[in-house]
Amino acid sequence: MEPIYVVLIIILIIWCGIFGYMLYIDKEVKNLTKKLKKLEKTEINEA
Amino acid sequence: MNKIWQFGLFVWLFLVSLAAFMWAPLAEGLGEYTRILYFHVPVAWVTVLAFLIGAVFSIVYLKTRKIIYDQFAEAAGQLGILYCILATVTGSVWAKVSWGSFWNWDPRETSIFILLLIYAAYFALRSAIEQEDRKAALSAVYSILAFITVPFFIFIVPRVYSTLHPDPLINTRAKIDMDGKMLTTFLSSLFGFTVLFFWIFKRKIDLVKIKLALRKMEN
Repeated sequence: MEPIYVVLIIILIIWCGIFGYMLYIDKEVKNLTKKLKKLEKTEINEA
Repeated sequence: MNKIWQFGLFVWLFLVSLAAFMWAPLAEGLGEYTRILYFHVPVAWVTVLAFLIGAVFSIVYLKTRKIIYDQFAEAAGQLGILYCILATVTGSVWAKVSWGSFWNWDPRETSIFILLLIYAAYFALRSAIEQEDRKAALSAVYSILAFITVPFFIFIVPRVYSTLHPDPLINTRAKIDMDGKMLTTFLSSLFGFTVLFFWIFKRKIDLVKIKLALRKMEN
């Protein structure tokens, strides 16, 4: 395989790993924030 | 403000990538593979940084006994493992084309493999203990002990034993043998990857705080 393609594959693995993980965290933060807000609203309503 | 520096980081990393391909010269003997240096080494550096932060938060936990610091240490450990896997996989791809096989048990490969096992055991330990305080205390002690091995495996072993791996940036004579343009690109990449790591770590901290707030409300 041409060396330049190997370099590109390696860079692709790194960026996919980092950005994939960032997207995963972002999604989790958004979901849990929604859940937290919902719980807070319920508590306020109950009070 | 947040968006501005995020955009700045994106531009910075884009420019570093451009410089790696179009501006920095190739090293003798490495040819096109020189470009890997600007991505693979910063990832390995961030691995060490993440494990260091994990150890620091573990010390803070042992001092304060506040569970949030244990969670921060765990978050840093998770990021450390992610970066360590990325460094191992990319190093392995490079080994395949340079040395003929994905895994050669070279001192550099062996040391990073042992490091991966050590930190995998950290998470195994965490999942094996249910009682929260006990889990946090034991994990903190383990994390500190685990970090003591990091400089040994990353910096000492590859310099003591003969390895096929290209010379480390700071070589055995404690000098940096690198062209000026290469060094500029490399240091810029190191800076960009470090800032990116802190950005992701901040998001992880946000996540930990939300999880703790949720747990508090549910109880």
